Amino acid sequence: MSPQANHPLPAGFQLDEYCIEHQLSLGGFSIVYVATSAEGHRVAIKEYLPNTLALRREGQTAPQISEDHLSAFRYGMKCFFEEGRALAGLSHPNVVRVLNFFRANETVYMVMEYESGRTLQELIQKNRSGVTENFLRNVFTKMLNGLREVHSHRLLHLDIKPSNIYMRNSHIPVLIDFGAARQTLACDTPILKPMYTPGFASPEHYTQRDLLGPWSDIYSVGASMYACISGNTPQPANNRLEKDRMIPAMVRWEGQYSDQLLETIDWCLCLNHRYRPQSVFALQKALTEPVDPLPPPSPSPQQKDNWLGQVVGKFRKSRGL
Amino acid sequence: MKFTIYQESRTGMRANNEDRLAYCYSREALLMVVADGMGGHYYGEVAAQIAVQTLTDAFPREFKPRMRDPFMFLQKGMLNAHRAILDFAGQHRLLDSPRTTCVACVVQNSVAYWAHSGDSRLYLLRNGRVLAQTRDHSRVRLLVDQGVISEEQMPGHPDRNKIYGCLGGQQKPEIEYSRKATLETGDVLVLCTDGVWSVLPADILAVSLKTTDPADAVPVLLGQAEARGGPHADNLSMIAVRWGDTYGADSGSGSGNGSGRGLISTRTMPRDSVTKRIDEFGRQPGGKTDLTEEEIERAIEEIRSTIQKYSR
Repeated sequence: MSPQANHPLPAGFQLDEYCIEHQLSLGGFSIVYVATSAEGHRVAIKEYLPNTLALRREGQTAPQISEDHLSAFRYGMKCFFEEGRALAGLSHPNVVRVLNFFRANETVYMVMEYESGRTLQELIQKNRSGVTENFLRNVFTKMLNGLREVHSHRLLHLDIKPSNIYMRNSHIPVLIDFGAARQTLACDTPILKPMYTPGFASPEHYTQRDLLGPWSDIYSVGASMYACISGNTPQPANNRLEKDRMIPAMVRWEGQYSDQLLETIDWCLCLNHRYRPQSVFALQKALTEPVDPLPPPSPSPQQKDNWLGQVVGKFRKSRGL
Repeated sequence: MKFTIYQESRTGMRANNEDRLAYCYSREALLMVVADGMGGHYYGEVAAQIAVQTLTDAFPREFKPRMRDPFMFLQKGMLNAHRAILDFAGQHRLLDSPRTTCVACVVQNSVAYWAHSGDSRLYLLRNGRVLAQTRDHSRVRLLVDQGVISEEQMPGHPDRNKIYGCLGGQQKPEIEYSRKATLETGDVLVLCTDGVWSVLPADILAVSLKTTDPADAVPVLLGQAEARGGPHADNLSMIAVRWGDTYGADSGSGSGNGSGRGLISTRTMPRDSVTKRIDEFGRQPGGKTDLTEEEIERAIEEIRSTIQKYSR
């Protein structure tokens, strides 16, 4: 069956104790709605609805699932439960809260807290003048508090990227979308189709999934910081393994941000997982380290012509120290 | 060592199979394990799997090629499994830890040693008779022993599912050890879950396995048990082994009764190798895991209770 767009539940639809307001996003695996609870609170509701396996036509409530797809549909539901389980046990201001989980319309729903704001992705795209050093350090240090909590529950997020970091209007970042999260020590790891986003996924995502660890999420954090500055998705790790065309942050933005921050980004983006910060704590320490204020921009013309020259200049500088 | 062995497990009429079974052997020792995850508890099959895996994983470490104290091995293995189940429950924040029965038997130098917790059974059969069997850790067994009810009343008794010895429970498990039993040629050891023994009297097992090869007899017996269980047939699991040579004899006669096919001789095995047989238990043999209605409800219930627990 070719993927067909599923019709969302209509506005005003009464789903359990919630009233649907509008659709927030549509993925291949689920639809997210904004809804109002009986007490009048706004919530986000994620509906499990893989569009390759279940079809909901306009005007229908329950999706149609053919006999052949039922087993795969249920299997995917298991993954949806994994996400629910992962989030239910986490209570942290920088991790999205799950409020309820229920079954209806022959599928399952996860209710999460909703606050107005926008994803970091939208934010950086709106604000093309570039992000400041303080903004990066602040947002990522806070977001990492949430990631630390995730890791302390023996979970990995495995899909960190700017569009999965939600910025509340109060400027507090919240990690969302745990669809790829897995219990690292789950005894029956199902043979799952790996879920990841090229550009943000670590090399281990592609090659050796048994090497996935906190350092894999840390690669994605590095890629997210890189993307915040560049405004584009970084080169995917599998391509980097063949031919690394990613210009080190240190080279690309020298002078615009502190060396220490740029070094930290490059540190996270090491292809070898052992060379990256091994824990969120180590990375946070680097991000909160006091640094000397930026020297006044004085680009030396002979070094500015190409980035190789800049690297060489860099080495000279550090040798001179 | 020479023996013929066969194991099989069937789901019966239940939604999924919570029984687990495995055997493994080195040149000089054989280990068999049967575990029955508790149906009333969450993740019964996980508990059973942990029990079987813990024991079979420990086997290669301890039996190279033989073990000084098989009872010690059984005790350590079962207590480790018990703790592993509790750890699992803790990690997954289960409200109630899963439980499993366990019966395990080691044969070394033609001497059998076994231990059990719960109501999965071991029978030692000789010449078509039951020579020894485990005593269930169940309420009905106590009632029979106290003379309150008769043996015949056991299967229909309302308390027949109440078990007091099991791995993974709140209390330290009650583990009962056998005496050492020297095996003779043609002796048969049967390990089975209650799905089998509750519907098949021991003498039927003894007669059927007296001469027939385990690989032929076990499927027939399980078929009968399934039929007797009718629409409510429980999970049924059974390992049967017929011993092929007597203590001290290594003449290689291997004759026995009809033990030609599938006869395993460990004489030529390297000293440090272990052969293991543990069946895969998918929900569907086809591969894809299928969730039952019951499991969906259970998963949702679990998530909701976790949310409750962590909401402030």
